[in-house]
Amino acid sequence: MKPEMRQKLAREPFAEKIRKVAQLIRLAKTFPRRAARQISGHPSGK
Amino acid sequence: MAINEPSDSLPLADVFRAANELVAAGLIEDWALGGALAAIYYVEPFTTYDADIFFISKDKGLTAGVPAISSHLQSQGWQVEREHLLVRGFPVQFLAAGGLAEEAVREAERIDYEGVPAKVFRAEHIVAIAASVGRAKDKARIEQLLRQADLDKTYLENVLQRHKLKLPKI
Repeated sequence: MKPEMRQKLAREPFAEKIRKVAQLIRLAKTFPRRAARQISGHPSGK
Repeated sequence: MAINEPSDSLPLADVFRAANELVAAGLIEDWALGGALAAIYYVEPFTTYDADIFFISKDKGLTAGVPAISSHLQSQGWQVEREHLLVRGFPVQFLAAGGLAEEAVREAERIDYEGVPAKVFRAEHIVAIAASVGRAKDKARIEQLLRQADLDKTYLENVLQRHKLKLPKI
């Protein structure tokens, strides 16, 4: 993803970002391997 | 919807409401959202599986009042799963704050989340806490916050200096 797109996502309202986190969790549960690739490089977890 | 019914969305408003109730019930002095979800307040969303609520305890004993918090929330329908309390199936960890984390709670940003008043760690404190922990994912978090969050560099330098911390080489 382009840095500008990432910056745009970072600027979204918190509630919208939380909705996206819920979508990512659902995706990770449905397609564990694909989701793992998609989020690699992200500081997920605590 | 009952508090123990699983939800497709993250029940963050329920978490914040419950934390406010713990203050009202006199079980904790103050609280704020920390960890990955606090970082997401400032950066692009990423996958995380729980919420970290840091609290300043009124009980200065060894347990920091965690058993009382746990039984209060269970009486509200929350469930227990190892070190987490679950609301609508979503794990929440209540962590007693001391030192840098306590400062982060006291100086956290006040927000309104779906009509519920809440507090979120300042980005500068998230960076400082990540620097103090120092795992690979903490380094990645620092990098992401430096890139995407509008950090107050003077404030950050001050926090790092007072807690004798240094940013890792990125």
